[in-house]
Amino acid sequence: MTPIADLLEQLLHGLTLGAMYAMVAAGLALMLGVARLINFAHGEFFMLGAYAFWLGYSELGLPYPIAALLAPAVMVIFGIVYQHTVIRAILPRSWHVQLIATLATSIVLTNLAIIVLGTQPKEVPTTLSARILEVGGFRIAWQRLLVLVAALVIFWGLDRFVARTRTGRAMRAMSQNREACAVVGVDVQRVTLVTFALSAGLAAVAATLVSPLFNIFPDMGTVLTLKAFAAVVAGGFGYVNGAIAASFLIGITEALAGSYISYAYKDAIAFVIMIAVLLWRPQGLFGRRIGI
Amino acid sequence: MRRAAIGALAAVVVSAPWLVAALVPRQQRYVLHVLVFTALFAALALSYDLVVGHVGSLSLAHPAFFGVGAYTAALLATRAGWPFLGALIGAALAAGVVAALVGVPLFRLTEHAFAVGTLGLALVASVVANNWVEVTRGPLCITEIPKPVLGVPGGPALAITTLPGHYWLALAALAAVVLLYRGLTTFRLGRAFHAVRDNEPLAGAAGIDPLKYRLLAFTIAATVAGGVGALYVHYLSVMCPEEMTVALTVNLLVIVFLGGVGSLRGVLVGAVLFTALPEVLRLAPTWRLVIYGTLLLLVVVRSPEGLESLLRRAAR
Amino acid sequence: MALLEVHGLVKHFIGVTAVDGVDLAVERGELVSLIGPNGSGKTTLFNCVTGYLAADAGRVLFRGRDVTNAAPHRVARLGVARTFQQVSVFPRLSALENLLVFLQQHQEERLLSRLLRTRRLRRLEAEAVERAHRLLELVGLSGKADAGAGTLSYGQRKLLAFAAALMPDPELLLLDEPAAAVNPTMINQMKEHILRLHGQGKTVVLVEHNMDVVMDISQRVVVLDHGQKIAEGSPQTIRRDARVIEAYFGR
Repeated sequence: MTPIADLLEQLLHGLTLGAMYAMVAAGLALMLGVARLINFAHGEFFMLGAYAFWLGYSELGLPYPIAALLAPAVMVIFGIVYQHTVIRAILPRSWHVQLIATLATSIVLTNLAIIVLGTQPKEVPTTLSARILEVGGFRIAWQRLLVLVAALVIFWGLDRFVARTRTGRAMRAMSQNREACAVVGVDVQRVTLVTFALSAGLAAVAATLVSPLFNIFPDMGTVLTLKAFAAVVAGGFGYVNGAIAASFLIGITEALAGSYISYAYKDAIAFVIMIAVLLWRPQGLFGRRIGI
Repeated sequence: MRRAAIGALAAVVVSAPWLVAALVPRQQRYVLHVLVFTALFAALALSYDLVVGHVGSLSLAHPAFFGVGAYTAALLATRAGWPFLGALIGAALAAGVVAALVGVPLFRLTEHAFAVGTLGLALVASVVANNWVEVTRGPLCITEIPKPVLGVPGGPALAITTLPGHYWLALAALAAVVLLYRGLTTFRLGRAFHAVRDNEPLAGAAGIDPLKYRLLAFTIAATVAGGVGALYVHYLSVMCPEEMTVALTVNLLVIVFLGGVGSLRGVLVGAVLFTALPEVLRLAPTWRLVIYGTLLLLVVVRSPEGLESLLRRAAR
Repeated sequence: MALLEVHGLVKHFIGVTAVDGVDLAVERGELVSLIGPNGSGKTTLFNCVTGYLAADAGRVLFRGRDVTNAAPHRVARLGVARTFQQVSVFPRLSALENLLVFLQQHQEERLLSRLLRTRRLRRLEAEAVERAHRLLELVGLSGKADAGAGTLSYGQRKLLAFAAALMPDPELLLLDEPAAAVNPTMINQMKEHILRLHGQGKTVVLVEHNMDVVMDISQRVVVLDHGQKIAEGSPQTIRRDARVIEAYFGR
């Protein structure tokens, strides 16, 4: 393969990673903006979504589109249950409590997954991940194209949702001033619930899109939460589009560094970027914004 | 009365090896091993509580500092042939220096963001431990770390070879950490730490530099964690990357938050309960984490001050 | 040279200019009130002076020293004490400790001597405890010395915060609404405390909404509106100033 084609392939790989991180990071940023809460169990939403997809596609033999819709649906319900059982109890509490509670949830989910599903990684190859598009010596799996196209559609839809719909606008208002929203009659509980369901769904969509490309294993959530959070910090704490942009930056840097510098240390890249941003631009790459 | 009770407890703790030999002769080795672990974990948890309980910064980086200390001591003892005390001091200093360096950018983050940043650091440290094979030997572990020998070069030396010896060494270390903990968390220093924890803007108005005190607690805690790491590897003779994973953080969180944040007695009780109990119950690590996670979730949601406050409430 | 000088101070928030080029000079021993409608920038000005907010332009001098954008603890150690509008104490420290913590940073801060509790430090501590008890008595909280500050009533916490600000014997005292949300008896108490301080030669600047208090005790009143200084003078002249009346009642 020519160096240029190799570089292009790594860039494309980085974009895929970035899309995955962005879908997780967008959910984190939404929760942070709307509910002032950092959900440490967010990576586990992705992990559970991936297993739900594996169950539907590989075990039950459902067609890809159905399995790919089923997993997010399951995770939306899971997000609602999570909101009702854990989040509602901790929302009025201090951030210490919130953090430990969500971290504890993450630990419980990860280890339950290990107990139930084992540590052996699962592979979920699909027809699209096996089929390769070749353009002038440059090869790309159709699944990757699907990831990128779907990510674009999702981020465009998310942006429209937040800007145009009643609930979306309420989310934005709450991210700016939660107290005032309660006063003027925004249904804070309902908007929080929608935010959690949406965030969980986004993570699961990411999982169904990239699972055919990567392995699934029970403790993949922790690293993912951390990388997504690094993107949230670098993107300007709670600013959704900033987090999305920073996710792509992290994904591309990781792919290039993993290929040209050191594969072993690629997981550390996100934090190097985050620390660098904190040192040089503590307000985030895109300046401080108020709201999501 | 209280003094007498503490004296009696101290006597029991110090004479534990003989008591164990008399009471459970068959399982003597196993029980002593659990006791050594308990003492080391208690010391580690106390150092962790300096940051979490007394300046209120929820750091999740403690395994990183423990690991830096453990690896430094392991390398100094095996490759450089340093004596035990040298390796111990080197390990503590290395961890402290790392903490001071990373603390500066990390404390730009506040509250939960700081927690995530420190968790990121812990993850990076564990990635390095696994992959920097030339130094850490990665998953092959550093082995054949010599047993501790107390004493200075040229002077008399005391080799710690028996389990009771290790126990007393760990106990002495714990006692030193308890003294340090008391010194730091009471009187003027403690007051300044608590002021920063309780109300940062007001602490500024009182002339306290919050960042300086946070960094101070963070660095001292890391130094202690590094020292505990050195004791740990000299006891086990081996250091592997798995010793510094997120599971260690969960352990510490459980000890501190279920025992009692910011309370010497609470943390000590927590360390005994949550180091000895799972050993005695022979829980598999995954089940232990599931149970710990659930407990943590229930307790922080129901009673944020931990068992300490539950006990106090029950006593009332 | 005035004790406190503020030159052309500007502070923007997103979409608004909270403080818009304010000049202010406070002489040693003066008692000055800062008034203005809600959102006129009084507290923002306080926060810029004491380092809680970074000013976008302008300079702040204390005793001729440039303290523009110095960190809060630096300003405090130079001898500027302040109280907060939202009553602010350390809830998990006792009332006594709340006072002690305000003095200790001005005395001795070396780690080792604090850890070892040197004889000198123990003597300083004993003196501080004595001073704290005197101040607690002054504000009528003697009986509460060992009570957790979080358990005190709102009024008691307000008095405690006030006493704490006095602990290091500051040269300049900035009080943010000392008479807000307390009963009439306590308002009179506060007035007396402030006048006593003034009598002792302390310099006091207060932000206050209670006009009776302001007009009663101030030597000079500075009026802010929309972040700008619109009037300045004795209470009598301010009462009759057309712009002030307009700012307060004209909308």
